[in-house]
Amino acid sequence: MSGEKIIIQVDADLEDLIPGFLENRNTDIETLRTELENSQYENLRSIGHSIKGVGGGYGFDLMSQIGAEIESAAKENNGDLIREKIEQLDDYLKRVDIEYI
Amino acid sequence: MTNKNTESLIKVLIVDDDEDVLNLLESWLTKEKYDVKRANSGQQAINEVNIYVPDLVVTDLFMDEMDGMELMTQLHNDNPLLPVIMLSGQAQIPDAIKAMHLGTSAFLTKPIDQQEFIDTVKRIVRACHDNSVLKEFSKNIVYKSKQMADIVKMASLVADNDVSVFITGATGSGKEVIAKAIHDASSRRDQRFIAVNCGAIPDQLLESELFGHEKGAFTGANVKHEGLFQAANAGTIFLDEVGDMPLALQVKLLRVLQDFEVRPVGSTKTYPIDVRLISATHKNLEEAVEKGEFREDLYYRLKVVPLNIPNLIDRPDDVPALADHFLAEFARNNKQEQKRFSPDAMKYLVSMPWPGNVRQLINVIDLCATICRNKSIPLNLVKKAVHDEPMNMQTLKEAKREFEKNYLLSVLRITHGHVANAAKVAGRNRTEFYKLLNQYNIEPAAFRDKKKPLAKEST
Repeated sequence: MSGEKIIIQVDADLEDLIPGFLENRNTDIETLRTELENSQYENLRSIGHSIKGVGGGYGFDLMSQIGAEIESAAKENNGDLIREKIEQLDDYLKRVDIEYI
Repeated sequence: MTNKNTESLIKVLIVDDDEDVLNLLESWLTKEKYDVKRANSGQQAINEVNIYVPDLVVTDLFMDEMDGMELMTQLHNDNPLLPVIMLSGQAQIPDAIKAMHLGTSAFLTKPIDQQEFIDTVKRIVRACHDNSVLKEFSKNIVYKSKQMADIVKMASLVADNDVSVFITGATGSGKEVIAKAIHDASSRRDQRFIAVNCGAIPDQLLESELFGHEKGAFTGANVKHEGLFQAANAGTIFLDEVGDMPLALQVKLLRVLQDFEVRPVGSTKTYPIDVRLISATHKNLEEAVEKGEFREDLYYRLKVVPLNIPNLIDRPDDVPALADHFLAEFARNNKQEQKRFSPDAMKYLVSMPWPGNVRQLINVIDLCATICRNKSIPLNLVKKAVHDEPMNMQTLKEAKREFEKNYLLSVLRITHGHVANAAKVAGRNRTEFYKLLNQYNIEPAAFRDKKKPLAKEST
């Protein structure tokens, strides 16, 4: 995982919403980690499902993809893959740089 | 500019238990000048609907406690015409089909595409407020009365989604005309519209007619038969006189409506179907439910949108328009100049009770147009025609003949024109059966599959 910035272009109408949206995803990451510690796969699936549903609409397509992968891995109780995807999401959020258009 | 102003008045209630989704939808809709209200649960949405009175509801499918399907069902109990857009994170086709049949106007999968979402909202809002939609819908329906105008408006609003429509009205009131208009205005218009009179087909054949049968399912079933539900796949099936359906078959119909699949008689396999159902009856089904003659669960499944067509006596304003329309049709069909009713003749027609409804009116008009030699049809001729017209009631002999003919047609359809098998089903020998067919001028070859030559009949 490199430290390069990932530029995401977002509709300027959503500018006020983005900080809160990203903050909620950071909260999701914390929750995902806790649920993984406790092997709560149904909760992990549900959070993955939500991330999948909401990411693309704001312009974060990769976020939706990671959400879908968490959802799918949770259905198979695949903790290792979920851990990997949580870290990928965390890394993505740290590198993302928004450009309002 | 007019468009913008109209749309700015449109109220949209958005329902989701995810704040980020609500924020996103609100932002998109506000940008397009819609008025938006948010609800973060199904229960909150139910409370808001009575206060906010939205023009459109957008809801997530999967929510804790009350999901989107349950919410839509509850909303439609009080307001069956309220359009609902369902959003789901899962692209499950059965969910989408079920949602469409329960009355959702559109089903979109998450992540939602902004353009697709806004286009869908605009399309639905336009369908609800555009008079040209109503005009196109009603082009084949003749009416002037407010009662019929209300029914036509309601029917036009539900035409373009798959919600089950239940039409009640007396014999001859025009139930099939409305059903066909709904089909023609729906996205299924290029597919088949199949009308089945459940009361005209003997009970023991109705199941096979509707759901099909496997080869060998019963005596005489020597060929596999595709039922009318499968034949209407992707189109519309109109079950007329559904109140006459036997209880045993009602269970099977209910299962079809719940699972969207049919199991032919004698088959272990089910076949998926995507059919829009419109049903009708002249009976009071609420009474039938109370007496235990009709299943309550099926009744509520059928009557998601009820339409009650009033008798002609209760809408006399329609009589002159109908009379004019059918006189013009008679003239066209017979390549004649169109005749008119004299003013006193028309007054008399308007004052008649018409127990046989529109069908009886058509009979009288055809009789008058046939025997009148002048351009203007006088009162005395109309009186004679009304007197001579047998109130649309058949004699017992006529009714028996009609039943026998329908029975023979059903048996031949099911056996694909195989006379030996058809005779077996009917419990007659072949010679007797041929005699019956001759009596009604029925040609068994017309029921045979043209692609496959018929297996040689055993002697």
